[in-house]
Amino acid sequence: MARIMAIYLPRLPLDRLVRNGDVRLSGPFAVTAEQKNAWRVTHPNPSAIKLGVRAGQPLADGRAICPDLLSEPADPVREGLLLRALWRWADCLSPKVALAPPDGLLLDIAGCSHLFEGEAAMGQFSLQRLSDLMITARIGIADTKMAARAMAQFGSQTVVIAPAGETASSLSKLPIAAMALSEKLTTDLARTGLTSIGQLYQQKSSELARRFGLELTQALGAITGQAPDPVTPKAADPVYAARMTLPEPIGFLEDLESVLKRLSDQITKRLQADQKGARQFHLTVRCVDTGDHHRSIGFARPCFEPDPILRQFSHPLSKLEIEYGADWFRLVASHVEPIRLRQMAMGDHAKKNDHRFQLIETLGNRIGFDHVRIFRPKDSHIPECEFEQIEAVHAKPHKWAQSARERPIRLFAPPEFVHVETAGRPPLSFKWRRMSFDARTSSGPERLTPRWHTDSDLRTRDYWKVQTEQGRRLWLLTYPGSDDENWYIAGEFA
Amino acid sequence: MKNVALQSLTPLGEIANAYSSVQLTQHVKLRRRRMHEVTGASADIFATMAASKCEPDVIWIGLGRDITPLCPNGLHPYLNPERVIIVEAVSRAEILWAADVALRAEGGFTVIADMPDALTLKESRRLQLAAEQGGGIGLIILRGPANTSAAQTRWRCDPVASDEPAWDWECLKGKSGEAGLWNIREAEVRYGEDHGDLSASATA
Repeated sequence: MARIMAIYLPRLPLDRLVRNGDVRLSGPFAVTAEQKNAWRVTHPNPSAIKLGVRAGQPLADGRAICPDLLSEPADPVREGLLLRALWRWADCLSPKVALAPPDGLLLDIAGCSHLFEGEAAMGQFSLQRLSDLMITARIGIADTKMAARAMAQFGSQTVVIAPAGETASSLSKLPIAAMALSEKLTTDLARTGLTSIGQLYQQKSSELARRFGLELTQALGAITGQAPDPVTPKAADPVYAARMTLPEPIGFLEDLESVLKRLSDQITKRLQADQKGARQFHLTVRCVDTGDHHRSIGFARPCFEPDPILRQFSHPLSKLEIEYGADWFRLVASHVEPIRLRQMAMGDHAKKNDHRFQLIETLGNRIGFDHVRIFRPKDSHIPECEFEQIEAVHAKPHKWAQSARERPIRLFAPPEFVHVETAGRPPLSFKWRRMSFDARTSSGPERLTPRWHTDSDLRTRDYWKVQTEQGRRLWLLTYPGSDDENWYIAGEFA
Repeated sequence: MKNVALQSLTPLGEIANAYSSVQLTQHVKLRRRRMHEVTGASADIFATMAASKCEPDVIWIGLGRDITPLCPNGLHPYLNPERVIIVEAVSRAEILWAADVALRAEGGFTVIADMPDALTLKESRRLQLAAEQGGGIGLIILRGPANTSAAQTRWRCDPVASDEPAWDWECLKGKSGEAGLWNIREAEVRYGEDHGDLSASATA
């Protein structure tokens, strides 16, 4: 028989601020969020509740009731991180812990409770430990996930236990809202006069299904344990990080490098054991006087060897300004990916690829990966949209098909203005970049219709290829049928 | 200028064996592990053409204003754009650093550096040493006037007014005595056609 413990954290956003030592929480305070087109109070603190502020109230109303009310918008990301931290902490209670975002944890405690001398003691113990962490919690223990959660959220005490096999009867007093149904279904049920879960038991499930759909009967099955609804625990992602604290600060480059060597050795050993590689490494150097300095490097392929890490960090480290020394270091691997171990490069091709990636890494780490690019073809008939440049790190070279139309080797976007001297179509002589040109032969026009679906430039374009007497082969552009009768140079052929 | 007197390559101080040089056309060779400078309005085409005959990976380094106009569909007849890695530098010093790293890198890359102005002697020596170490080939496109440099050769490449695309390639400087002026037609430089129409380049 499964036994599930649900930890419900009703004040998580407030607890986060309390833990951060926020002084505003001594007076009336509320965490707000934008819901239904208004800023609403989601988590008022006790002194705000005492003054009449309620969850779900618009913030403006809350301020009217309680003019001293201070507030802060919710920060779901940081709250999520706190919840994840608690999820890792909950390992001390049970090996099977699942996240129930945004404000709960679910633990499968079958076979664990006797270690804490019974379920009630276990609940109290967890509550005690959580309050040591300055977290307010409510705990429910039952046979099913939903029942435990309902007990925690709607129970009369902070620890509510439904004895094994008596889940259905313990639930009967709880309101329908405890079933976490969709809002519409909850209001529909309320309209029929059904208020507690116990009242649902008395109805035939076929009746309920006919009237309210299968969602209700399925939820009822799950909450009473007739349908399986197991806790699916997720193992915490392993963190590939290493840290080193020194008794005395160091400042010489060789010392820094030897520290980095040890850290990267540790991490790469673990990465190799798990057959993983990381594409980014972040180094934090804590100086005794100037605080933390962060340096990052990237790789074109997952890296699992210490040497490339040292090589790529050598430049950022040499640029680091350390006056009084640093005594705390941390190296973290991120963007961890599985690697496929391959045979040592036998052919030239694999070796060439290695060299290519190495060069991209070296260039990218110094001048930015966004500055090292390759071409990618795009599907368009507008010359400047036929291709794009993308970062070379994450991309494989793209197969390139011969273009149907002749294109210049250099394409000027936006096109450059031409001063026409002898008019013609295209002009017989013109000036461009302070150089005079006379047309010798020309071919065209290549007429391109605009992309009607983008509103940027809706002019038809005529392109002419002009061979000048001076030798240069230019691509002239004009916009027929528009007010602009000027000529432009759109590109230059080789 | 128009009526090109074509000189055959004078093999003074023989340009090493075929293994260590790249045959551009029948008469034009470029030495590997060396740096070559190109000036003139059609310097691009000389560089792409040379790159297409060299190592598969081409690193094209330049300032944003010189790099962004590059059109892969325009390059395609001469050099397959798949092979090009573009490096956008923000300053002259960064171009030089990137060119140095790319030339020095293992694997012998073909490096095209689009320089906004001439290299000083010291800078060109550095690049030359890097090229010797890495085993690739360096092609420096000079937008301005050239300077005294450690480059193996310096070329001026200008387009010629004719019915089909054609260029004058003039070797202004050659450390091993390469010198001459060649008239090149498009058929010769398209990649895939190994040794195209040679009729234009043969007359002495």
